[in-house]
Amino acid sequence: MKRFLIYILPIYLLLMVGCSDEKFPSINHHQSFVASMNILEPSMTFYDDLGDEIAEWKFEKSYTGALLIPHDRVLLYGKQLPEADIYELSSGKHLATIDTGLGITNSYYDEESKLIFMTNSETNTVTSYNQHGEKFGECQLGEYPMSMDSYNGLLYVVNYKDTKLSVVNIDTMTLQNEWSIEKSSNGILVLPEEGELWIGGHGEGSKPNQTVDVHQLKTGELIDQINVSIMPVEFARNGQEIYIINHGANELYVTNSDGETLWANEVGANPFAVASFQEKIVVAGFDDNKLYFIDRKEIRKTVDTGNGPFQLLVREVK
Amino acid sequence: MRKLSIKIWSLIIIFLTITVIFMSFFTNFLYDQLYVKDSEQSMIEIGERLQSIYKGGKVTDEMVEKVEDYNMYSIFNVFAVRNPRELSACVPFDIDYNTLIGPDERRLLLKGETVTKIGYEERFEREIISVILPLTDQNRLEGIIYLYYPLARITELANSEVMLLIGSVVLFSLVIAYFVHKGLCHIMRPLNELQTAVEKMSAGNYGTRVQVSSNDEIGNLTEAFNKMAAAIQKEDEEKKTFLATVSHELRTPISYVKGYSEAIKNRFIDGKEKDEAIQLIYREANRMERLTNELLQLARSNKENEPFEMYPIVLSETIRESVNLLRNQAEQKGIQIEIIVDESIIVLGNEEKLKQVMINLIENAIHYSSEKASICVLTKIIEGNALIKITDNGIGIPEEDLPHITEPFYRVNKARSRADGGSGLGLSIVEDIVKQHNGKLVIQSILGTGTTVMIELPIMEEL
Repeated sequence: MKRFLIYILPIYLLLMVGCSDEKFPSINHHQSFVASMNILEPSMTFYDDLGDEIAEWKFEKSYTGALLIPHDRVLLYGKQLPEADIYELSSGKHLATIDTGLGITNSYYDEESKLIFMTNSETNTVTSYNQHGEKFGECQLGEYPMSMDSYNGLLYVVNYKDTKLSVVNIDTMTLQNEWSIEKSSNGILVLPEEGELWIGGHGEGSKPNQTVDVHQLKTGELIDQINVSIMPVEFARNGQEIYIINHGANELYVTNSDGETLWANEVGANPFAVASFQEKIVVAGFDDNKLYFIDRKEIRKTVDTGNGPFQLLVREVK
Repeated sequence: MRKLSIKIWSLIIIFLTITVIFMSFFTNFLYDQLYVKDSEQSMIEIGERLQSIYKGGKVTDEMVEKVEDYNMYSIFNVFAVRNPRELSACVPFDIDYNTLIGPDERRLLLKGETVTKIGYEERFEREIISVILPLTDQNRLEGIIYLYYPLARITELANSEVMLLIGSVVLFSLVIAYFVHKGLCHIMRPLNELQTAVEKMSAGNYGTRVQVSSNDEIGNLTEAFNKMAAAIQKEDEEKKTFLATVSHELRTPISYVKGYSEAIKNRFIDGKEKDEAIQLIYREANRMERLTNELLQLARSNKENEPFEMYPIVLSETIRESVNLLRNQAEQKGIQIEIIVDESIIVLGNEEKLKQVMINLIENAIHYSSEKASICVLTKIIEGNALIKITDNGIGIPEEDLPHITEPFYRVNKARSRADGGSGLGLSIVEDIVKQHNGKLVIQSILGTGTTVMIELPIMEEL
């Protein structure tokens, strides 16, 4: 009997540990933060507006992306994971799991419809979920859908390995239109007041892209190309300033909404993410694992973060 | 049964094959260790020199040109790359094209490490050895210096003409096999000749000899064989002669006995003649008996593996007893036998045998001495040996007969007359017995003056 217990006890303990809900350090409800999603050693690091670290969430699962969703929650997903997890920030507790299937490349929350969208590179679809994680609808897209933005009931999805952008009706989840774009496009920004949609990208094959393509929001017609430095892949916006991150040139490029260059500055090593946070610009250097806090065109603070910061999440509590 | 030559031939071919295989592996190993390592080291050195041109910031056109200019002076191909697409900068994103360096290499380069690769590179469509050095500034991989050199692997070189290579190896092996075979035939020929000669010997052809053609082990063996063959031939001839002699010696008395007994049976002779004939028959029968006895003795003494019992003997006693046995015979001819003996000599021997020796020698001395002559028997110690010396003043032995005097049935008197008595075996028996006592027999003689027989026997040391 004793012998039996010796064998059974560790297994029982292991099950207990395995089953118990994972709990991360809590983030105060009223805390504004910028969080970097680090993908080489999956973790999420939270910083306040002074650039001080609030908390670090270290993940067992190989999450490759995160999305802030209403009610103090964060959605975590991974390209190699069959499911996405929802955690509560204030408690650090796991709330729900959504079966997504392998191949999730990106997620997006539409304020207007209050729906979560997730693109899948295995099925080449975009799937919408309500706030409880219940599946709402699905739409077949082009090769490797990834970057998303929405406006006025339409979801714009860039198909990364394809030469088309898909326009999806959010209510019906049907494909409404397809525009011709460059291959390896990444980064999308809708400028409603200009009636424009900006698209960045890496460039096809070994040739690096050096422009931001401006399309007309209504027709999809390519109306302009803004020359930037090498490989603009993400946008952020604060009022009239548009922040473009050029990861090939390690450069932050700032324009106004007309596409006129305001200023540019070299920052970080191979940065993929840029965000506007409390009137500051935050840039994440993927190769040097650092966050840069930029204010009035100057880097004011540099902080070390986890391995491979790839995405920045911003919550600003008014 | 496989022939020795085939075994040696196979062994050489196996060794040759093993050597070829080993050498090819070893060459490859050396190639890897020396050539590849050396190239790698040189490339790193050049790369580091080029790397020192870079002073930070963006990689300029000038820098790229400078690096590419180096191609003119270097055996290695070298170029600088600053396109982030080629440097796997986009890697968290899926990339569907072939970058110059992979994400893992990018990580190493970011740490400032030099990356070395050996293997097939799709970009260059061949196996290369490449060295990549980073151009980094504030943790930014601004570019790389890429040096490479095609690996002209021995196997790759051979790949195109692999059939030719295999063909050459096979041809080479065949040629080597042929020459080794020829060489072995040459080496083995004396052995084959020896074998043939041995077969001939077995068939009874003792005159067979093999020509000695070399100075090596086989040559020595051939020489030894020739010596053996000569010895066998001599032995055979001696045996034949011996048998012929024995039959001749026996035939004469037998024909006497047969003739006279027939005459008596048919009553051709009577009275006094008959008595004489009976006397003759008796004498010849005695002679035959003696002859056969001595033959038997000789045969026995020849059997060296039947040693007789040896024990300490007082030599003077044995000599005295022997002389006493012959005293009558000597007195009949009026011969004086003088004995000068050292009483202290003790030898290890067989008394009977030694007596036989003394009797044979003294009998001979009496026999070949004229009437009223004298014989001297002397013993003394010389150089730790006992010396027995029997001197007579008889008819002596011709010089040319001396070396053969101890051969069975050898007679100085070729007429083989029975008038001088002996069977011709006496001295043979003496020589055999002396040899068995580890002694030495020396016969000196001057024709018409006399003969001296000397026997040296090892003395028994006093304990």
